[in-house]
Amino acid sequence: MNLTRLTYCAPNYTAKISEIIGGIGANSNIASLGLKIGDEILFKSKENGRGRIVIEHNNSEIKLGRELASKILIECNEEPILTLDQVKVSDVVEVTKMGAKGDVRFRLLDMGLVKGVKLKVLRVAPLGDPVEILINGFNLSLRLEEARGIVVKIVEIDKHHQTNKKRWGMFRG
Amino acid sequence: MERKEISVALVGNPNSGKTSLFNKLVGGNQRVGNFSGVTVEKYEGTVSHNGYEIKIIDLPGTYSLTTYSPEEVITRQYILTGKPDVVVNVVDSTNLERNLYLTTQLIDVQANLLVALNMYDELEKQETIIDLEQLEKLLGTHLIPTSAVTGLGINDLLNHIVDLFTDKISIKKNKLTFSALMEEYIEKIISVISKDEELSQKYYPRWLAIKLLVNDKDVYKIVKEYPVWIKVNNILAAAIKEIDQKFDSDPELMLKEERHALIRGAIKETVKYPQKKKMNTSEVIDSILINRITGLPLFIFFMWGIFQLTFTLGEAPMNWIDTFFSWFGSAASMVIKEPTARSIVVDGIIAGVGGVLVFLPNIMILFFSLSFLEGTGYMARAAFVIDKVMHKVGLHGKSFIPMITGFGCSVPAFMATRTLRNKSDRITTLLIIPFMSCSAKFPVYILIAGTFFGASQAGNALFGIYMLGILIALITARLLKTAVFKGESEPFVMELPPYRMPSFKVLIMQMWQKASLYLRKAGTIILTASILIWVASNYPKSEEITVEYSQIKQDVTNSSKYDENEKKEIFQKLNFQEGTKQLEYSFAGRLGKLLEPVVAPLGFDWKLGIALISGIAAKEIVVSTMGTLYSLGDVDENSHELRERLLANPDYNQAVALSLMVFVLLYIPCAAATIVFHKEAGEWKWTAFYASYTMTVAWIMSYLTYNISKYFLL
Repeated sequence: MNLTRLTYCAPNYTAKISEIIGGIGANSNIASLGLKIGDEILFKSKENGRGRIVIEHNNSEIKLGRELASKILIECNEEPILTLDQVKVSDVVEVTKMGAKGDVRFRLLDMGLVKGVKLKVLRVAPLGDPVEILINGFNLSLRLEEARGIVVKIVEIDKHHQTNKKRWGMFRG
Repeated sequence: MERKEISVALVGNPNSGKTSLFNKLVGGNQRVGNFSGVTVEKYEGTVSHNGYEIKIIDLPGTYSLTTYSPEEVITRQYILTGKPDVVVNVVDSTNLERNLYLTTQLIDVQANLLVALNMYDELEKQETIIDLEQLEKLLGTHLIPTSAVTGLGINDLLNHIVDLFTDKISIKKNKLTFSALMEEYIEKIISVISKDEELSQKYYPRWLAIKLLVNDKDVYKIVKEYPVWIKVNNILAAAIKEIDQKFDSDPELMLKEERHALIRGAIKETVKYPQKKKMNTSEVIDSILINRITGLPLFIFFMWGIFQLTFTLGEAPMNWIDTFFSWFGSAASMVIKEPTARSIVVDGIIAGVGGVLVFLPNIMILFFSLSFLEGTGYMARAAFVIDKVMHKVGLHGKSFIPMITGFGCSVPAFMATRTLRNKSDRITTLLIIPFMSCSAKFPVYILIAGTFFGASQAGNALFGIYMLGILIALITARLLKTAVFKGESEPFVMELPPYRMPSFKVLIMQMWQKASLYLRKAGTIILTASILIWVASNYPKSEEITVEYSQIKQDVTNSSKYDENEKKEIFQKLNFQEGTKQLEYSFAGRLGKLLEPVVAPLGFDWKLGIALISGIAAKEIVVSTMGTLYSLGDVDENSHELRERLLANPDYNQAVALSLMVFVLLYIPCAAATIVFHKEAGEWKWTAFYASYTMTVAWIMSYLTYNISKYFLL
């Protein structure tokens, strides 16, 4: 079983809400929608990119913004497989496949984005693209369209993104 | 006799402190040039050590020995064919994992390799421990801890270079051993290649084999020339097939994964990182500088800062240069009595040299600022922040700085495109800079807009002009990127290096190197061009006009109708009139008249034609030439007299004014800029395209402006 963000799961199956990890505001928003820990929800659909997430809860349909939905943790029935562009800031992932082509692929491989390497998404540029990642102890930026070619699995989700001031120091040895 | 000169190549990742180390090694004893055929700077320096002359060449920073950017091509080419006696790989020891990737590739080519573990002082501060002995064993070479900041290991490194050259120490020339399957294929290819003596003499066979397996286009091209290719190709095909079937992968991926795995293994074995990682200052700075909310305003602030520094701070020294040369000019005219010689020296040579030097303050301040941004690490962040906008037109985030610099002056802007690594990005950026309205065009707009649009509308006209320039630039970039450089967009896979404080000495040195490059490469030609333009607007001289006017002057002198003051005034007017007539008679004047049919559809008469031609020397000259043509002598954009004359001309109206502003905005930049463009683009075809494209766009846009606006404007 994999505890992960609702937004990372593949749609069309029923699961229990295991945790809600937002700040005070987000949590009360989620609560006002009638969602609480232990509720069963049916994750119905997910649009790629910035679309909304549709879930079914107590026989009624609820539409959630992606940001809000990402704060709901559920048990995924299979290991979520994502591309790097879909990963939320400050989550840690491991590269499982390099799908990029041509020049970009060459560059990414030379920079160490090979199978098995762990990386953390550090931030998104002010205009929403490119993103910055931490890999092998250095910071690398790449565009979302370049990140789309990198298939990853989730290693660790950051549960305290907003409040956690501790700096992150793995990948050293 | 024993050779006393050692050639050394410095190779390393960008941001590995290679350039600082180079400066520490050779000090001021260095010079900058260009690698032939490309605008990649070549830094060379020498240092004497233990009786040896060590000649060091600082190769451009590269992450890998591939051939994707001109820098990489040069580095690889130099190591393979330049045959340096010793290759020193400068490694950022705080970031071994990425830096050793290049090291392993240098091992592949069997270079005479020494590794400088640079920034060792930072490593010690981090309390990271490297088992140097074990790592040396694994790499088969010597590791020398160095630091350009503290001077650590500089002498040691030089000792090692000399010792390696004189065979006092040796290196093992290990090879990287890949997995059994890959080794099998490598061996197969080597055995085929070794049969061709010429090929295996020229290149190290194992390197060729590895490069063929990782799909290196250039190595493919090399091997294709030889008869062994057919057999090699069969092996490659077999390898691709087997690896695809067994592992759902390909040889390139496998080899690169294995290479990274080998490095990771070596680091695990030899490096001990501290238990607790210290607070990362770069991360803290980044959380402010490229934060989602403050990132963009701060970026705009920094860009504005550079612009202000370059052009506002630069203005004072520019004025000094201007003043000095006009003083020098008038001093020279006192000394030289003969009119023709005086004109050549004063208006031709002195004005020409002044015209070259006047750009120096801008160039120096801009490059100081750019080196500073690059040295601190903010440059990469700036590209990170603005890339989304630039990518929309197919450009890289780094194109932004040259573009905004274009609003000040195209000369430094063209030179700033050197920060772009990808050729198609560089050419595209060079080609759109002319449309960023430079500050020399401003006086022309002020004169025209102020005269024809009045205080209330002038601002709008001016704003519209600047916007039009940006629009044309973006369209041009888009067109070039979709039509000419199809699919050659530079990936944004870019390191955001840790923040560091660059040394002031290095900044000054880099600034001076850019300035001297400008003086040597462009200065002489700009000087020649401005003298030629001077000749064109002064020759041929009409004897008749000279005789006619000296006759009139004679009459005035002899006349008793005027007092002395009146005579002076009349003389001045006569001189201006004579100047106008002579200008009309000169090559430039004739060209203007000849071109009248070409500019007539834009609403211009031959006087404007001449003014525009003279603008090729420098844009602000458009105003003073108009002054000359209206027999007013030296005028500036605020001259009331000129404004009145322009308004009085029945052929001029708002439509013509607008059309003229559009033309001045878009047509070919001044001669100095054009020459710098050529130096930066490096190929005649681009310079020809640049000239014809700007002219065509200017003509079409002016034509449209004139013919549409004449129905709406006065």
